[in-house]
Formats: sequence, structure tokens, C-alpha cells
Amino acid sequence: MDVFLQVLANGVMLGGLFAIVSVGLTLIFGIVKVVNFAHGEFLMVGMYLTYLAVTGLGLHPFAALILVVPVLFLLGALTQRFLIQPLLAAGDHHIQIFATVGLSTVLINLALLLFGADIANTPPSGLRQPLQIGPVRVLLGQVVILGAAIVLVAGLQTFLARTRTGRAIRAVAQNRAAAELMGIDVNRIYALTFGIGAACVGVAAVLIAPLYPTSPNSGTYFVLIAFVVVVLGGLGSIRGAFVGAILIGLIDSVTGFYVGADMREVAVFGVFLAILILKPSGLFGRQLRLSHVSP
Amino acid sequence: MRVLARALAAALTLGAAVQTTARAADVKFGALFPFSGQLALLGEESARGVEIAVDEINAAGGVQGQKVVLARGDAVDNNQAIGEARRLISLEKVVAIFGSYSSARSIAASQVAELSGIPYFELGAVAEEVTGRGLQYLYRTNPTAEDMAKLAVEMIVKKVAAGLGKKPEDLKIGIIYEDSSYGTSVAGFQKKFAAQAKLNVVTAQGYPASTVDMSSLVLDLKGRGIDVLLQTSYQNDSVLFLQQANEAGFKPGAIIGGGGGYSMQPTADAVGHKVIEGVLDTDFTQYLVNTQYTPGIENFVAAYQKKYGSAPRSGHSLNNYVGAKLILQAIGNAKGFEPDTIVKVAQGIDVKDGVTAVGYGFKFGKNNQNERAAMMGMQWQGGKLVTVYPDSAAVAPMEMRK
Amino acid sequence: MTDIPLTAAPSAGLSAFPRRGAAALALVLAALVAVPVAVGNPFIYHVFITICVFAALSTAWNIVGGYAGQLSLGHGIFYGLGAYCGMLLVGAGISPWIGMVAGAALAVLVALAISYPCFRLHGPFFSLATIAFLEVFRVLALHFRDLTGGATGLMIPLKFGWTWMVFRDRWPPLAIAFGLLLLTLAVAWWMRSHRIGFYLVATRERESAARAAGVRTVHVRLIAVAVSGALTAMVGTFHAMYLTFIEPASMFSLTLSIQIAMFALIGGLGTVFGPLLGALLLVPITELARGWLGAKALGLHGLVYGLVLVLVVLFLPNGLMGLVSRFTRTGAGGRGAQAGTVPAVPRSAERPPIGADVIRVEGLQKRFGGLHVTNDVGFTLREGEILGLIGPNGAGKTTVFNMISGFLKPDAGTVSVRAPDGTWHQPGRPADFATLGVGRTFQIVQPFAAMTVEENIMVGAFHRHRDVREARAVARETAERMGLAPWLGSEARGLTIGGLKRLEVARVMAMRPRVLLLDEVMAGINQTDVRRAIDLMLSIRDSGVSIIAIEHVMQAVMALSDRVIVLSSGQIIAQGSPQDVVRDPAVIEAYLGKEFVHAHA
Repeated sequence: MDVFLQVLANGVMLGGLFAIVSVGLTLIFGIVKVVNFAHGEFLMVGMYLTYLAVTGLGLHPFAALILVVPVLFLLGALTQRFLIQPLLAAGDHHIQIFATVGLSTVLINLALLLFGADIANTPPSGLRQPLQIGPVRVLLGQVVILGAAIVLVAGLQTFLARTRTGRAIRAVAQNRAAAELMGIDVNRIYALTFGIGAACVGVAAVLIAPLYPTSPNSGTYFVLIAFVVVVLGGLGSIRGAFVGAILIGLIDSVTGFYVGADMREVAVFGVFLAILILKPSGLFGRQLRLSHVSP
Repeated sequence: MRVLARALAAALTLGAAVQTTARAADVKFGALFPFSGQLALLGEESARGVEIAVDEINAAGGVQGQKVVLARGDAVDNNQAIGEARRLISLEKVVAIFGSYSSARSIAASQVAELSGIPYFELGAVAEEVTGRGLQYLYRTNPTAEDMAKLAVEMIVKKVAAGLGKKPEDLKIGIIYEDSSYGTSVAGFQKKFAAQAKLNVVTAQGYPASTVDMSSLVLDLKGRGIDVLLQTSYQNDSVLFLQQANEAGFKPGAIIGGGGGYSMQPTADAVGHKVIEGVLDTDFTQYLVNTQYTPGIENFVAAYQKKYGSAPRSGHSLNNYVGAKLILQAIGNAKGFEPDTIVKVAQGIDVKDGVTAVGYGFKFGKNNQNERAAMMGMQWQGGKLVTVYPDSAAVAPMEMRK
Repeated sequence: MTDIPLTAAPSAGLSAFPRRGAAALALVLAALVAVPVAVGNPFIYHVFITICVFAALSTAWNIVGGYAGQLSLGHGIFYGLGAYCGMLLVGAGISPWIGMVAGAALAVLVALAISYPCFRLHGPFFSLATIAFLEVFRVLALHFRDLTGGATGLMIPLKFGWTWMVFRDRWPPLAIAFGLLLLTLAVAWWMRSHRIGFYLVATRERESAARAAGVRTVHVRLIAVAVSGALTAMVGTFHAMYLTFIEPASMFSLTLSIQIAMFALIGGLGTVFGPLLGALLLVPITELARGWLGAKALGLHGLVYGLVLVLVVLFLPNGLMGLVSRFTRTGAGGRGAQAGTVPAVPRSAERPPIGADVIRVEGLQKRFGGLHVTNDVGFTLREGEILGLIGPNGAGKTTVFNMISGFLKPDAGTVSVRAPDGTWHQPGRPADFATLGVGRTFQIVQPFAAMTVEENIMVGAFHRHRDVREARAVARETAERMGLAPWLGSEARGLTIGGLKRLEVARVMAMRPRVLLLDEVMAGINQTDVRRAIDLMLSIRDSGVSIIAIEHVMQAVMALSDRVIVLSSGQIIAQGSPQDVVRDPAVIEAYLGKEFVHAHA
């Protein structure tokens, strides 16, 4: 029984990790309707920045937030403004995929050029402290990640529901043309949303870097999982992304323990495909209404 | 359009020719390694060994009085490996090729060399299949995955079991490995030799090298009460596993890594010297070794430091260096650079153990594999990777925690 | 999507491809063989074989990614299947030529199995699904190592000769690679210039309009995927023999899948020869870049590659073919062309008498969540009559239309259509309605923007005429009737709203419908054009077509309709002659206002 609880605990912690990585993506994908294949690389950039901040400037990871989050925000906003916006006019999201794939290649190789292929290790700074909660053992850093994910999700929900900018964002997501007619500067909203999404990834990066080795390819695994989570949870639903992430984490952990380490990927992708085929709107999403898709 | 195509062809030929220009009194050898892409780090490291060998040979008068020039080929993927092999052979006109660190690249490129009748000297790839094809012009100097597995099992039977106070058959062995050809081939042989030695392999599991989390695997191994864990992995997964095992309280009697991440200093630094203390490793000869058994190793390290401004990053450069130098020296004693001449002198090489900087001897046997090649057993002690097995090469005794 | 119309130049002559372009193409293809043979160097051979292989893969991919618009990033599945099939059969002593066929067959099965459920997914979701499938295949190939050799891969023994597809000479592999390239180009070209190509592009552009034109959209896309998969697998088998060594990571490779899509994009998505151009340019450049940059610094060559990709995507969205066609196009029609005056249509002295029922609608019900949008709607349409369907906004008129054309399934009730032979049918999907001769237009015009006016109409014409030439002739004739003849060669997106509406009608008319469903055809056009459009409608009626028209323009309703049905809040509140309905107090109460006065002018 203890073992089973540990498996579950591992799954929840893993879910927290996936959640914090995916929250930004669900915002971008769900609202700006952009497929950002470079999402994992944003994470990788954030992790390297954290590494530099902690080892170079001697900051504690939490303090590194002040540096990393704004930089990532800027990265997101600029990507939207200079890479995506010119392509949105063409009304074709096929091209976006290639643009973000190109961006992903550029970022990975830039990291390779600057940091080499060796792993970079951010000092744990106390976050690897194990915590014993009853029969279950987890790391402090993992609990922090889970907590941060919850706070982020709640915060974003409130932001979108209560603030004026948040409402503007939701308006643009639902009907771009109408929002524009209402006087909303759509391009600015898109850039803002992309920036916020990237900033969320920045938060994730700062919390993940002390726990996991960083290398130029760190982001590649995360990006696929992030998409799985976003689709599972439902396009545009931030709460759904959180629940989806926890579910995927549990599936991963349980399959890994009871079936075998090599079948985890199959299980996760199998679930992904099942959702795509049976219920593409995900667990919590509304009926997909991408405005530029033919009715 | 036609102009464009012609121009492209011309540019290609030119571009390729620009790479290396050699004078009439030079002899060209190919250096085919992955210089870009995923495997670039150790591909480059391996090539450095060859470069130092070439420097030393040239300083001693070259090969048959001619200066050796290396033509680099970037084997970033299998298709590319074939192309580069073709280019080296037909454009650069190399007399032989040194390579390739990666077994997949080696297999692909050596087929090309074989068909062209050009000798291919593999200095670092470990998969069985490289020499298992029975090619005539392919020679391998380095120890293989099979040797690595054999050594690991030997270590368990001869040292680890006693150190843990148990009989080898009573130990519960766990084998985990990253799922590419590297991990899979080593693990496959580990299972085979373990079975031969009548060891009890409780579980053997593969996982993707890019994994983000190994906690369920750790939990499984812990639950099975594993005494000795064998892991074959790259950097990322070595670090993850060791960290997560430590945090989950999984402390088997011994952990034996199969080279890769386990031999690299950044791994030890990332995991923490206290955590990695006592972890064993089987790999190519590394640098903290009994120099009586490996004469010349200190000179190599000094030469490397001088040329590249840092210490060697892994044992790959050393192994490539020794292999390349020996081959070049042998060719130096021949007359002419015909493929069959080169092959003949290679077959004549006979060097005993304890004479070269890698420790093991050289004699090409079945399938042109160096039969005297052997891996060594190391252990992390005090944040450094020291050789502990075999005794003749050891600098420190193997320390077992009871 | 792309700016390039279906044909590379206005279809003035017999051949759809300009002479200059054909000559250039022939030269390029000849050079692909001539250059390596002339230079004679094994390395050059290798580069050109690689160009041929990737050009073939890209061209095959383009059938799905470009024509059908389904961006598959998992085509490595088929490549890998072909490779493993060939290898395994060689291991069992069977020639790889047979392996090629077997691989292609297997690929077709897998393609159908994977694509069918995924076609409902749009854009990025489809791409993600293909990536997921690719990963699953890769992991399974690793897992079942007894079959596939697992991570350590499979090798072929070096048996030489044409039977085994392994050679000592350099030219045979080039010949095979070139042959495969020619095959893929031929198939791609054939598809593009025949009905299926039109159908695929139409489906890509506007799926609903395509369905309304009788295109079985799922069916044609499955054909595209099957053909593409088979071709890709065949190239995979050859390449495996060429590499002599395969492993899951390099066969079921995401990098490769993205690369072949990239070549097609850079060359020109949706064009026949774009992928060839893309491969021709990029393969040598990649080789050169790797040679110069690869060894200099770790990651430098990859960085340059990524930057080139981003730049091409930003500044050359139509790829290289877009550049080429800008130079070769002879100005196909003016943009913003006004749809001109509708020629006076000779009206027959009398209209044919109104015949028996041709559509029967009974008890239609539809709810969207809590909203009861259609409440017990029933009516009949008789042959040769014009039925007006009016009502205030939100009454549910278009919903009813959607239910009587197969675009929406009613919760209850039946829609029956009489076939020409007199039997009654209850069609389900738009294609079924189209087969029975029911055509419809859309409230928001749905032209196939990337196609010319002629091609748009041809899509409709294909419903009754398989042959491209016949369809073209019918399209021309229909265009003349509709007054669109001067704009046959212009891109549809250049027309004004009036022209687009007329195009919409023309496309449906080319299907030779027996029943025409018009959804607000008169909306947004000026007074003069309304008059002319009314005349056009009447002439259509006189030619034996029955019409149901949703209209707000009362002038048209009064002038055209034999009967009028008034819908309000999902229910029929009045039925009868236009004059009676217009005076009905319930109707006046529902929505009539000042327009009523003008209608009598």
C-alpha cells in the first residue's frame, strides 16, 4: 500500500511539473491560437538563464525570478510581434508551425554554441530537501512546483475573469473581428498574451532548473508532453490544463511502475491520440471553434 | 535552371576541395566523426585523440617520410556518414579512414569503405555489429560492449560480491539502460554474461534517454530489493537516476555504470560528490590509473592540455590516440599506401598488455577485432574517477559499503 | 493559403503548363542525371542520389500536405515502414523490389487506419496527432526487437545485383532514385491536373463548399494519404537498401519528417514541382554548410539552418515557386475586377408548368442545447416553382437550410427528395444531396480563393463530368450564362461581393442541379444588379430548376416567389402566395416594415 501511495505521490509531483510547464502553452494555444513548437525551447532558455543567475550572480533561484520572468516575457512578446504577427495576416496556421519549428532549431543551436553539449547544473539551493509526509517521500522543490502551479492557475483564471485586460484577451480569443470592432488593439493583446504565456514558462524554468540537469535538448521532451496536456485538458481551459497535467503525471507514474519504464511514452501518447480522436475538445474545453477554420 | 544546377555542382566540388589542401609529399587520412549534432561532444573528443597522434607521428618524421594530413568528415547522421565517407575516399583520396565513436555511423560508413576497398580503422565505437559483419577492410582497436559487459560481471563475481559479504548467486541484479543502440547492446551482453555466471538478474528495463523522471523506476528497483544495479546511460539520465535514487532512499550495495555519463566529471559535479561516492564504472581507460600499466598516459594528458587548453573530457581521446598512433606507426614500417599493404601491416601488429597508454595490448583476431582490448573498472572516490580494476591497473582499492 | 492558382498560368491553351516552364523542368531533370554521370565522382553521385530521394519524399508528402492541406509531420512512419519491410523481406531471402510493393501496401493500410480518425482534426491538431503516431511507431519498433532488431538496427548482407538493389557501380542507385523521383512527380502531376486534384484543393480551401459541390471530402483525402504513404514507403525501401543499415531512431525520425515538409514549404506548398526545387536547392546547401560550418563550432551549422528556415517562412511564404511564378505569370486578370453586367437572358415565352413534389420536409426539430431553433417545420417544394423562405433574423432559416442539404442532422423529422426516376430518398450527407441534384449556396460566400473563377466552377462541374476537358467546357458555358466570362482566368479572391455571389451560384449551376437552395443571394448587391439577378433566377427556373430562396430583399421575394414560407423563432407562422403572406397580420407583426412599400414598385 505504501508503495502504491508513493507511486501516486510521484505521479502528482510529476503532474505538477507538467502543469507548470503547460500553463503558458494553454494560454498561447488556446487564446492566440498559435502552435508554438518552440515552447520547450523557451523553457530551456529560462533554465539556462536561471543557471547563469545562480552560478554567475550568486542569486537564490527564487531571486532569479526577477531576472528570468521579464526576459522570457520579452522573448514571448517579440516572438509574437516579429514572427507570428506577420504570418497571421496570411491567415494560415500551417506556416506558423514551420516558423516556430525554425525558432526552436535556432534556440537549440544557439544554446549548443554558447554552452556546449555538456549538462549545466544549477545548484539545488536547498530545494532538494526531502520531505516525509506520512509514508510518502517527496522533495521540497517538487512541492514548491506543485504549489506554484496551483497559484499560477488560480492567478491566471482571476486575471482573465476579473480584469479588463483579461476580458479583452478572452474577447479576442472568442471573436477576433468583433473584438477589433470594439476598439481592442488585437495585435497588442496577442503580444501581451504570448508574453504572459512565456513568462509562465519562465516561472517554470526557475523552479525546475535546481532539480533537473539542463542541456540544449532539455526542452524537446517537455514540448510534446505539454501539447498532450493542453489537448487533454481542453483548448483554452487553464483549469483543464492543470487537471490534464496531473492526470498525465499519474498515468506516467503508474505505467512506469506497473508496466515498465519503456512503455510510458506509449501510454501517454496513446491517451493523447485517444482524446484527439474521441473528444478533441478535451476534458474541459468547449466545442472547438477556431475562427479561421471553415465551418 | 540548368545554369543553377551546374553552378551548384561546381560549388560543391570546389567547396569540398577547399577543405584540405595537401602537398605532394603528404599522405592523407580521413577522420570521420560526428562533429555536429547530438553526439558532437564525444565525437569531437575522440577526434582530438587522433589529432594528437598525428602530431606526434609527424614530429617523429611522419609515415614513410611523408607528413600525415587529416581530412575531417562530419558524420552527423547515417546518410551523411555515407556521403562523407564517399567524399573522403573519392575527393580527398585518403588512404585510410579513422573513425567514428558512434556505432551506427561506423556501420554505415564502413560499408562504403569496404565497397571501395579502403581500410577503415574503428577506434571507439562499441557495438558488436560493427565488426560482426566480417568485413575485410574494417579493423577495430577498441574494446566493445561485450567487453564492457564481461568486465562488469567479472567485477561483480570477483570483487563486489565478496565486498558485500554475499555469494555472487545470492545477489539480486538489476539492469537498466537507455533505449538507443548503446544502452541496448551493453545491457544485452550484461544479461548474457550474467546468465553464464549464474547470477540472478531480477529485472532488465529500458527507458528513453531523454526522460524527465525516473522515480517510478527507482521505486520499482527499491521494491525488488536490488543489491547490484547496472546502468548504461548518457549524462542526463545518469544524473537523474543517481539523484532520484538517493532521494528515494534507494541505496543498493553497488551501482555499476556502463561508461557514458558515469565516466564524466560534470555528472559527478551535478549529482554531488557525496552522493556519487563509491559508484563503480566500466569504461575505456580513464586518467587516474596506475601509470606503470599505462606508460605514456601522462605525456598524452600533457600534450592534450597543451593543444586544447583543458584536461581531456573523457577516455575517448586517449583510446583514439593510442589506436591511431599504433596504426600509423605500423604503416610507417611498410612500403607504400596500397590498401592491401596497410591491411597486411595491421594484421601484423602484436603488442602486449601494459605497454601502451591504454594498458591493453593489440592483436587483431576474428573479424579484425582487437582481441586484447579490454575495458577497465573505475570508482568515484572523493569526487574523482579512479581505476580500481584490474588490480594491475588499479590506483586505489575498490571500496565497498557494507 | 498559397497565392498560386491551380494551374501555373492562365489556362489559355491546351496544356496547363507554359512552354518555358516545361523546358526548364526538362533541363533540371536531365541535369540531375547528367551532372553526376559527367563528373563521375562517387561523392557527387551520393549528393545527387540524396537530392532525388528527398525530392521524391517531399513531392509525395506534398500530395497530403500541399494539395490536401493536411500538415502531416509524421510521414517518417511510411518511410520507416517501407524501409523495415524491405529489410525484413531481404532477410527472409525475398527481393527488395517485392519488398517495395509490400511496404507500399502496408503503408496504405496504416495510412488509412491513422488518417481516418484524424481528419476531423484541423490544422495543428492533425499535425500533433501525426507526431504522436510517429513516436508510438518508433517506440514500438524499439520494443519489438526480435522483429525489428530494436535499437541496434538491421543490416543487409552485401549481396550485389539488381535483384538485391545493392551495387558496386555508382549509376544504378542513381537510376533507381531518379526513377522514383519521376514516378512521384508523375503521380503528383497527374493528380493535380485531374479531378482529384481539384477536389483536394477545394477541400483544403473550403471544406463545406466542397461538400456542397458534391465532393466526398473524407474520401478524397484518404486517397491522397494512401497514395502519398505508398510512394513514401517505396522511397523508404530503396533508401534502406542504399544505406544498408537502418535503426528506429533514423527511420521513424521526427527530424526527417519535418525536413521533407520543409523542402515542400520552401519550394512551394501545393505546387507540383515546388518540392523538387526545394530539395534541389537545400540539399547541396546543407551539405556545403555542414562542410564549412559544421566542424567549426558546435551548433553553428544548425543555427544557420534554423535562421534560413525562419527567414524563408517570413519572407517567402509561397516558396520558391511563388518567386518563379511571379516572373512567368502573364498577369492573369485584374484584381478587384468588377463583375460586369449580366447579359440579357433570352426568356422563353412561357415558363414550364409547376409539377409534382420534389422535396418533402416533415416535422423537423432541432435543439442547440436549450435553444429550440427548429420547431415542427414542414413544407413541400414542387418541381419548377420558386419557394421563398423569409423571416426575421434569428428565425432559424439557415438552420433549416443546413438540415435540407445534409450539413446538419435534425433531431427529429424527415427530409425526402425525389430522384429523377421518381423514387423517394432520404439523403444524409451533402454528397448524397448533391447526387440527387440538390445544390446550395452559402450565406457567407465561400469561394475557393486560391483557384481561378474557371477552376471554382469546374469543381461543381466535376460532379457530373469526370473528364477535365468536359468539366472545363461546362464551366465556361456556365460562366457565360452567369456573366462571369471575362473573369474566367482571374483569381476568385479578386472579385467583388457581387461577383462572388454570382460565382457561388455558377458553381452550383455547373452541377446541373434540379433543386437550388439559395441563401441570401441578393444581399449586399446594388439595385440594378438586383433587377438583373432576378432575371437570372427566373431564367434558371425556366430551365427546369426548382428553387428555395432565403431572402431579405423583399423586392426579390415578391418578384420571384410562387409561394412564401415565413419562419419566426423556429416555427412556420404563415404560408401562401407572396401577396397573402405579406398581408398576414402575424407576419407583419413579426417583422415587416417599410420595405413592404418598396416591394410593390
